[in-house]
Amino acid sequence: MDNIYKSIIEALIFSSDEPIPASEIIRAVKEIDGDDVAITPKNIEDTVDLLNEEYDNEDKSFGIVRVANGFAFATKPEYSKYVGFLSSVKSHRRLSHAALETLSIIAYKQPITKPEIEAIRGVNSDYMLTTLLEKKLITIKGRADTVGRPLLYVTTDEFLKYFGLYKISDLPKPREVEEIMQDADFLEQKRQIMMNQMDEIIENEIDNSESSSNEDN
Amino acid sequence: MYKIQLDTFEGPLDLLLFFIKRDELDIYDIPISYITKEFMTYFHLMEQLDLETAGDFILMASTLMQIKARMLLPKEVDEKGDEIDPRMDLVNALLEYKRYKEMSEELSIFESQQRRVKYRGNFVADEKSNPNELDTLLKNISVYDLVKAFKKAIEQKPEEPVHQVQRFNVTIEEQITYILDKTDFGRELSFLELIEGMQEKLRIVVTFIALLELTKMGKIGLRESTEFNNFSIYGLPDG
Repeated sequence: MDNIYKSIIEALIFSSDEPIPASEIIRAVKEIDGDDVAITPKNIEDTVDLLNEEYDNEDKSFGIVRVANGFAFATKPEYSKYVGFLSSVKSHRRLSHAALETLSIIAYKQPITKPEIEAIRGVNSDYMLTTLLEKKLITIKGRADTVGRPLLYVTTDEFLKYFGLYKISDLPKPREVEEIMQDADFLEQKRQIMMNQMDEIIENEIDNSESSSNEDN
Repeated sequence: MYKIQLDTFEGPLDLLLFFIKRDELDIYDIPISYITKEFMTYFHLMEQLDLETAGDFILMASTLMQIKARMLLPKEVDEKGDEIDPRMDLVNALLEYKRYKEMSEELSIFESQQRRVKYRGNFVADEKSNPNELDTLLKNISVYDLVKAFKKAIEQKPEEPVHQVQRFNVTIEEQITYILDKTDFGRELSFLELIEGMQEKLRIVVTFIALLELTKMGKIGLRESTEFNNFSIYGLPDG
């Protein structure tokens, strides 16, 4: 693969506002330059790594991430507050425990029916499924061949994007989890999440008190 | 100002896991009697708050009671002759649930990290104009969207209610003849026997009125029945 393709790949990823799959990049290149161009998914993977290395070396504020079966430019976490301020995608509220619980069951056991989900959770899950469907984190993919032909639920690309996963197989394995739970690293991360949540609450409180003190003046 | 947040549980399994963790119980050897008591205490508290989810808790409460009862009975054995622990199904359900609860915590970490990563194309200035080609229009449509649209279309068109009036051909006179026929020669029968096989409510009402009419005329007598909600009717000779 010629070196010129490094810039072409970069341009293609840059121009797409949805994660662009390697197959799409290859399709575009072959369409323009002919079928005989030797370019493989592996080439693209390597090029992306190379590009990211360059961005890091130059201390850039962004990089290419692998997410939802494709590649996308994303800003680095440290600038999220500023970028988020101008972003039209409202920094939507975090998912509830119940939603995460339902989602993780679907993610691991997909395709799965509602009765199967409810058997594991032990509670009615109608509302949770509707919410997740509305958020486009899950979708319906046909019906099961069992009695009553119940609907089958699967996760979407939006799900992968939401959790920053490249492929569904990138989900941590259930067996690993028990080890992770004992891990000191995990406890540290868990503490970090709690801190983040605290930060959010404090931020809100500050906003509220600011607006109320303005009223006082 | 202080905000107080009470622990909320996602369901009965979640609550049981909480007790197991809080009291450091062995999940493979759950003291059923103890945990049932704890569960019921919480349940009564919750019952007054939220009837919606209470149903799931009632199911768990009865499951616990059933296990408790089975523990008192002589031990059951399976084909291999091993003792069956009545708690086994519950333990398996708890372990399965725990697994996914842990996974959801894991996903929560990903969520936190991912919330801080921003993609291109999300600024207000980036709002796209409506694409008019058919294939782009249908790009992000899933079966669920179609079902939703269909449901909306169906619900928007309410059916015109059609009222039909049916004439019902049963008269008091007819029923008087019917009752007299049944109680001929001082025969006795109960009210329930009399109306047996009558499909329409109206027919029963008319029969009852005919019954009152006959009593007034002194042609039949009524007698209290030993059964609840019933009475006997007997013909009076030449009333």
